[in-house]
Amino acid sequence: MKQSGYDKTLQLAKKVDKIDRLSYILMGFAHIKAGQIVKGVGFFLLEIAFIFYMINKGVTTLLNLITLGTVQQGMVYDEAEEIYVRVDGDNSMLMLLYGVVALFVIIGFVILWRVSVRTGFQALINKKAGKKNPGFIEDIRSLFDKNIHMNLLFVPLLGLFLFTVLPLVYMILMAFTNYDVNHQPPGNLFDWVGLRNFNELLLSSGKIAQTFWPVLGWTLVWAVFATFSNYFLGILLAVLINRDGVKLKKLWRTVFVLSIAIPSFVSLLVIRTMLNKSGVINMELISLGFIKDPLPFLTNATWARASVIVANMWIGIPFTMLIATGILTNIPSDLYESAKIDGAGPFMMFKKITMPYIFFITTPYLISNFIANVNNFNPIYFMTEGGPLTLEYFKGAGKTDLLVTWLYKLTKDSFDYCYAAAIGILIFGISATVSLILYNKSNASRNEEGFQL
Amino acid sequence: MTTPKGFNSKYYRLLPVFALLPVLLLFLPYVSTGGKSLNGLGMLKAAGEFKNAAGAVLPIFGGIGGLVAGLVAAAALILLFIFRNKVFGYIATFAEAFFAFFEVASFFGIKKMFDATEGFGSDFMIHDLRAGFWVLLIASIAGLWITMAANRFHTEYIILTVMSVIWLFPVFYITMTALRQEGSFYVNYIMPKQPGLENFKKMIFDDSKFHYVRWFKNTLLVATLSCIVSSLIVLQSAYVLSRIRFNGRKVIMNLLLILGMFPGFMSMIAVYYILKGMGLAQSLVALVLVYSGSASLSYYVAKGFFDTVPKSLDEAACIDGATKWHVFTKIIMPLSKPIIIYTVLTSFMGPWADYIFASVILGDKSDYYTIAMGLFNMISMENIDKYFTQFAAGAVLISIPIATLFISLQKYYVEGLSGSVKG
Repeated sequence: MKQSGYDKTLQLAKKVDKIDRLSYILMGFAHIKAGQIVKGVGFFLLEIAFIFYMINKGVTTLLNLITLGTVQQGMVYDEAEEIYVRVDGDNSMLMLLYGVVALFVIIGFVILWRVSVRTGFQALINKKAGKKNPGFIEDIRSLFDKNIHMNLLFVPLLGLFLFTVLPLVYMILMAFTNYDVNHQPPGNLFDWVGLRNFNELLLSSGKIAQTFWPVLGWTLVWAVFATFSNYFLGILLAVLINRDGVKLKKLWRTVFVLSIAIPSFVSLLVIRTMLNKSGVINMELISLGFIKDPLPFLTNATWARASVIVANMWIGIPFTMLIATGILTNIPSDLYESAKIDGAGPFMMFKKITMPYIFFITTPYLISNFIANVNNFNPIYFMTEGGPLTLEYFKGAGKTDLLVTWLYKLTKDSFDYCYAAAIGILIFGISATVSLILYNKSNASRNEEGFQL
Repeated sequence: MTTPKGFNSKYYRLLPVFALLPVLLLFLPYVSTGGKSLNGLGMLKAAGEFKNAAGAVLPIFGGIGGLVAGLVAAAALILLFIFRNKVFGYIATFAEAFFAFFEVASFFGIKKMFDATEGFGSDFMIHDLRAGFWVLLIASIAGLWITMAANRFHTEYIILTVMSVIWLFPVFYITMTALRQEGSFYVNYIMPKQPGLENFKKMIFDDSKFHYVRWFKNTLLVATLSCIVSSLIVLQSAYVLSRIRFNGRKVIMNLLLILGMFPGFMSMIAVYYILKGMGLAQSLVALVLVYSGSASLSYYVAKGFFDTVPKSLDEAACIDGATKWHVFTKIIMPLSKPIIIYTVLTSFMGPWADYIFASVILGDKSDYYTIAMGLFNMISMENIDKYFTQFAAGAVLISIPIATLFISLQKYYVEGLSGSVKG
């Protein structure tokens, strides 16, 4: 069984002298004693810096994280000047942010401390056994060989921490506050409210719950339609192009790839203007004599929903076509030959050989595509901006809004950050549940080592 | 009836139907105009009368051409049955193709033809067209299909052609709009009446309201920088997670998987304040940081590729004394051209098309707007009427380099994509 780092450290601790356990308190002590001066001094300085930070800032920051500020910004009468002056209050938003940073600093320090204790003890034991400990230069050198993962992962993980983990934790915490449009720092304070936002979104009879459930319903309908229409039609298109004897394969493919090659915001905006009430499609239909009044492509809820699904097909079908093309060439041709001998027609072969084969290989793609469609911002926002708007919904939400575009509107337009954050968490819940169920059912949970050559 | 050599017997037997149909259809009611009804023959006569009317060129062409092509096809099929010669099969197929093409053309033009003299209501297609027209339309397409199948041509071409037209139409439309110098958004035709490059000139040189060139420079800068940074990040994390076994590898991979399931946009507000704290908010550097900061979340495709590079290569190199750094830079990277190009391409195109992150990070700082933000503003309610043709020019201008780049590197993109599917 694999040993946890904690057990390992305890075992090491038994093998070193009592005095050396001083490095529990004085980080780097053991390293210096074992001859790794630079490393030891480095650990020690980091410890000093941490203590300095905690005394100076850390403790108050943590207390603020609990209260989220107590003094509201207000006007106080200044007797000397005989006027009201503004007194700055606490800024809950910054307090929350700094609080999260402080939490991470503490977590980081705990990890650092454990590493220092373990490596320090190890160095002492090595020294006792007569082995030479690597010096500073050798440590640096090992970053390009044995420890290359530390080197290569440092920047990616730092970026991930700063621009994904830290903000995400901050936003997750925000879902448990009342940071909405009425509680905007610095003018106002906001506070912890526990699960109230989730309660309002999911269970209450308020307008926001009356918006959430229909939007969730449409999000799922959209995700199913957008995923499967693109999937099946894309495969069909790939099969058509790749039939034996169809000429100009490359040309056909390029025609369809054009819709991937053009930046999606351009094509979506163009399709949007085409579907406008006085856009080219309505104008042409009228002048060709099909209709009298313009069709409400983007202004009627049902029409608009159909329109975004169709427009999304224009962009999505070629994607599946490209993917399926790669797979089609891999299907063993003897399958088709024996089917032909048995008298199967092209449709039968498509249904019994092509489709199952592609489906088997692309299940993981299908799942990730479904998740991507739940979060598919561009088609909706560029086509309808979530509209047509309706009074039945919470401010600003429209009939084609997905959860993710509603989240965008709640943050960018109406500043109801706490609801946005709660919705984000719920989207995560949906994505995680769907992937877990489907991944476990599919063949994707296979042993990855088995596939390495 | 036996089938001559070179024909598909199943469809060959259906051909007589399509030899008779065009002839029969001439006598079916075609259109009813104010009480009197015209059949196919009457249509031919009417088309002759309208030939001088403006705007009736296409419909006359379609009307007469369609019927003539249909009759030629019928004649060729009859000759085929008599002489059983493959040549007539080819002639019939071509005639059927023209027949179908002209019928579809008249589908789009018949009202305009009658409008030239009488002026019909706008629901003309539903109210005034009679069975003859609709049956002819369907018969022409079905005839083409059956004739092609009987001659052992691939009927896939019909579907592919129709789909290509649908796929190319928006591209065609926006290009024509960009070339249109007159009018604004509200016009009811596609082909420009005064074609020219005025819109492109305005878009590039007129800096008074929209700063297209500046948007372009901003986007290019942001895309290039974040492309370099994110590609490096993606490739190095993919390499490490694929090749090196170390403590915490699984933890990191699971973390990346979980983080990827949160909507990327969710944390934007927090990111904005963090950037503000760094003194970078509302700047292009901030955008680069945002795009490349979370790049490692998309390590998966590249990892899948590295997984397929034989490990024995690494081991052999290690025995020869190479460090892992050398293995990465000197052995694996040169072998990974497809995945490098795929990564570079996707991380370059991502920032080009992004709107949400840019809109939050840049806010109202219009000096730093990217192409997506600028063009989005151009078709807002208050701008669309006046600037639509310019928007079209801007859209075409931006699409050309990107589409060219993408299509020329298509091969690598497909390789990467199918790698991602196999996961």
